[in-house]
Amino acid sequence: MLRFIVRRLGLMALVLFGLAAIVFLMAQVVPGDPARTAAGRNATAEQVAQARERLGLDEPLLVQFGRHLSRLAHGDLGTSLFTSRPITADLADVLPASVELVLAAMLVNLLVAVPLGVISAARRGRAADLAARLIVMFGAAVPVFWLGLMLQYLLAAQWQVFPLTGRLSFGVSVPERTGMVTVDALLAGDLGAFSDALAHLVLPAVTLAAPFVAVVARTLRSTMISALDRDFVTLARAKGASEWRVVIRHGLRNALVPSSTIIGMQLGWMLSSTVLVESIFGRPGIGAYAVNAVLQNDLFAVVAVVLVIGVAFVIANFLVDLVHLWLDPQLRRAGV
Amino acid sequence: MTELLTVRDLRVDFDTPSGPVRVIDGLDLTVAPGERVALVGESGSGKSVTAQAILGLLPTARVTGSVRLDGQELVGASRRILRQVRGNRIGLVFQDPLSSLNPVMTIGRQVMEPLLIRGVRRAEARRRAIDLLARLGVRDAARRFDDYPHQFSGGMRQRVVIAIAVIAEPDLLIADEPTTALDVRIQAQVLSLLDEIAAERRMAVLLITHDLGIVAGFAQRVVVMYAGREVEQGPVDEIFGRARHPYTRGLLAAVPRIDERHQGRLPTIGGQVPTPAQRPDGCAFHPRCSSTVDACRSEVPLLLPRAAAHRVACHVATRHAEQVTEV
Repeated sequence: MLRFIVRRLGLMALVLFGLAAIVFLMAQVVPGDPARTAAGRNATAEQVAQARERLGLDEPLLVQFGRHLSRLAHGDLGTSLFTSRPITADLADVLPASVELVLAAMLVNLLVAVPLGVISAARRGRAADLAARLIVMFGAAVPVFWLGLMLQYLLAAQWQVFPLTGRLSFGVSVPERTGMVTVDALLAGDLGAFSDALAHLVLPAVTLAAPFVAVVARTLRSTMISALDRDFVTLARAKGASEWRVVIRHGLRNALVPSSTIIGMQLGWMLSSTVLVESIFGRPGIGAYAVNAVLQNDLFAVVAVVLVIGVAFVIANFLVDLVHLWLDPQLRRAGV
Repeated sequence: MTELLTVRDLRVDFDTPSGPVRVIDGLDLTVAPGERVALVGESGSGKSVTAQAILGLLPTARVTGSVRLDGQELVGASRRILRQVRGNRIGLVFQDPLSSLNPVMTIGRQVMEPLLIRGVRRAEARRRAIDLLARLGVRDAARRFDDYPHQFSGGMRQRVVIAIAVIAEPDLLIADEPTTALDVRIQAQVLSLLDEIAAERRMAVLLITHDLGIVAGFAQRVVVMYAGREVEQGPVDEIFGRARHPYTRGLLAAVPRIDERHQGRLPTIGGQVPTPAQRPDGCAFHPRCSSTVDACRSEVPLLLPRAAAHRVACHVATRHAEQVTEV
């Protein structure tokens, strides 16, 4: 078990190295000259050359890559050409908001998709199955920006159930610790601020979750159906187990093994799809930051964002492996 | 003698895209308390469906007729009544011990489950489960309690499945091909274990098998099925000594015997069991039968008594008997 984890960590390091290399090469081939951006719009050729030297862009590619790696190892993502601040500082400002949004969306995703998938499978071919599949289809078919705008228009602007935009209402503030306002409000013991932050989180989280719900519900439905057809499920019924016990303890527990792979990967996908949701609901976050960086031709910031999202995928994958280990006793022994 | 299990005119139909198909066609069966009955037939003759129909485990099938356990009707019974019967009064053992066990649940929890469902306290359930596993020959039962099915060998898994079936002390054990998936040496062990545990607990056993070879030493009565119908039934000595139905005779001839020297290959019955959708008219066995008369092709033979408790559904056997009586 320990060997498994160590091996996975080693693999993770390898993947991260590959990712850093790809991102570095990508930065070399995209159009745009970072030295010119850094020097400013009206810089002379001399000033551009100075900037190039200052940024080390005149050195051989391999040397640049070596420096790139050593900086990364020290947690240095470089300086934003646009804000002139360390990119790590910029990310520290925006990343927690996105992580908060992604975690909330994942919660919504699981709370909706798992029951839908289970009901669909247990009542396969009946009215409940049809209804669940219609809901799923709707979530999959509706574009995120449309859903976001409609929710915002109806629930926030018209009926004013939820706030329109932002992370906190005007005049509400929480001491910053993690950067996730809901968590910070809880840590400060401020329940008023917590419910305010939560209210701001609901619509963006639902919007972000919608397309992911469809995937989880469909996957779970099909894996559940094949699990429920197996002998041990019939045998569980023959023991006199209630249908609920049969479906949850024997069916769902087995169906979760394959489904957890997809759920884990979704953490990474969600982080990279925050762009639209964050701009609709006026939330600062990595999505909004990425859009800005691209528009401003801020190459180092773009590279940093790609790297961060890549790291999120790698971490999500590692979590999936751990969850698998916990869910599937056969893996534990085999130490695959 | 009051019967424990009485099956009368059991019919099971499955809906298929090409219309309903009758898989079991009018089965009659009784099991007395403590009695051992073997239900015999080739693959595809409807034996396993019978077992699941008795317990109401065929949600997609249409089951008609009557299944009574101590007078309690089970066909069409409420889910609540069925749940009280399953595990508690009737235990079930499947053919393949690997697919019968939930791969992500410890064997201990699976053995305890029938007790926990009925509100037995966990500590008590654990104690009983360990005792039973030890009794069934699982070495180090207490230590292996928290192991998973894949850590057990095939024979050990089948002992676990038997433990699950008998832990709630049912009156009837339905064992559906309990030894088929095991290798020969383990088969004998598991069978004698079933024999002992049934005797100790005075359980009746309905042994479902295609292998007449294991029936002789185990069962008191034999019911032979062919293509969803019962073709012959009688005490084990009658069936082995004076089988009347050509199908039963064919099955008996195909059992290898240690006390007879065979020249060349074992005799076989040509052809195979028809699928329920293609069951021939008249006697379902007639295309494979060596002694047919006209009636075989058009009329389904009735199950008629031949001797005390020995019944046969065969036109030829019946006609032959009439001639004997006339003489």
